[in-house]
Amino acid sequence: MSKMNDKLLIDVGSTYFKLCTPTSIEQHLRDFNKGILDDLKYKCGSTIDSYEKDDVHICSSANGGLSTLIIGLTNSFSLKYAKNIAFNSGINIIETVMYQNIQEYSIPSDTIDVIIIVGGINSNSNIFSSDLYSYLNKLNYSNIVYVGSETQAPALKENIENTVILPNIIDNKLHIIEENLKVYLTNLYQEDIVGKEDIKHLYDITSNQIYSTPYIVNKTLPIIHTKFAVVNPYILIDIGGATTDIHYSKDLVDDNIVTENEYDRLVFKKLGVYKSKESLIFAAQNNEFVYELLTHLKVTENIFQEQSQKATKVLMQLAIFLVLCKMSHYKQAYVNLKLLSINSIVLTGGITKVLSSQEIEDIISFFYKKILNSEHNPVTILDSNYDIWTLGAKGK
Amino acid sequence: MKVVTGVVGNDIHVVANRLIELSLHARGFEVFNLGVNTYLEEFFDAVVETGADILLISSLNGEAEGWSREIKLLKSKYKNLENLVMVIGGNLVVGSADADTIVPKYKNYGFDLVFHQVDLSTGLDTLEEFLKERNK
Repeated sequence: MSKMNDKLLIDVGSTYFKLCTPTSIEQHLRDFNKGILDDLKYKCGSTIDSYEKDDVHICSSANGGLSTLIIGLTNSFSLKYAKNIAFNSGINIIETVMYQNIQEYSIPSDTIDVIIIVGGINSNSNIFSSDLYSYLNKLNYSNIVYVGSETQAPALKENIENTVILPNIIDNKLHIIEENLKVYLTNLYQEDIVGKEDIKHLYDITSNQIYSTPYIVNKTLPIIHTKFAVVNPYILIDIGGATTDIHYSKDLVDDNIVTENEYDRLVFKKLGVYKSKESLIFAAQNNEFVYELLTHLKVTENIFQEQSQKATKVLMQLAIFLVLCKMSHYKQAYVNLKLLSINSIVLTGGITKVLSSQEIEDIISFFYKKILNSEHNPVTILDSNYDIWTLGAKGK
Repeated sequence: MKVVTGVVGNDIHVVANRLIELSLHARGFEVFNLGVNTYLEEFFDAVVETGADILLISSLNGEAEGWSREIKLLKSKYKNLENLVMVIGGNLVVGSADADTIVPKYKNYGFDLVFHQVDLSTGLDTLEEFLKERNK
């Protein structure tokens, strides 16, 4: 047995946790009356006890995803770059504010996890003034980071409490520099996961860093072909209990941002089938094609009120449909993928335990016919044994 | 002074674009070259991000005319661009037309300086004179 295989891999989701040993994969529904560590020890204590702390690797997506509001100067540069970095760091963007019109924007009522301020190349000065500070005074936020022109940094530091100043994400050729902000946001995301879901207790059983699951999955994508017959370009959809993550080949977007990673990802924070069920149903009810889809599935709207295996299946099918809608040109969103160019759709997460290939293909085919008016039929691949997560976790 | 330049619309005349960049550099301008196939909004956005003083749009196949009609409307959506010097040059029509017809038309679209089939050196000399006069 190779050294690599001596690891115990644990993935803590919002609904289930999974354990992967060299010989088995087990999945358990979480007991929400217990802390995560207690629950893990109760259900898998003997497995965990048989590993040294150094050999236990944990990732989590439990209720993951921070919210952000981005204030930038233009759509073509500062806002576009910051949005790209935020999405790639697993952050959920709730609002983008074009600075010149800042007084016209409404104030979000929720507390924002992190505010990103960006704008200007380093030699550009006198960009931000008192209207920025007035706007920020009205917001509730936990963190604030500035990644714009360095000549503006001292003024922002002086006028905004606890501002984190990072190097500009726009270089002097107007190109993107993603690393610093990406690292900051990724760390914030991980801190959030650790803080929110008492995951910090999991450090009792591991001496390795706990990563976010989307980060681990993203690491797998360049080597996915070692396990699956995936043909590029492809998308990977991970529908979980609280969030849905989409990972996609950059070939599927018309964009000229040059970055190192060939795959981007998006996180839909309130699109899950368990913890975010109500948001999912709300989104479904606001989609004009959903009733046709329900008819196609031979159910009525009453299915939303039911607590049954059939209802869970329908919700998952709806989630697939809504996610594809969100990524298509039918809905103008941050990213519209060239869905007609997709050769493979890979599905992972809890969905693979509930839906059959046929049920998934049925929805995908319904989407292509109804929304894209096409007979296009990408190959559907189910990661029903959590190989994608295992591959990424082993690689880490 | 800072100049944002590029080729507007679906026009891929990259050699001319590069020559403009080099000539501007040689004359001491700080140049931000957006390259070919650039949309109007990107030009204005680049001006805002860089704090540029001049926007120099080039076009070699007459593509500019269709796009230029939108300039006033688009520029009006930006605040603080009143002092931006707007320049356009190249072959500004499809087919043929003389400068007496073309120049007023483009000035009406919102350009301060218009160079239709004028060589690059002459155009940049004129730009420098214009800036000198303006800054007096």
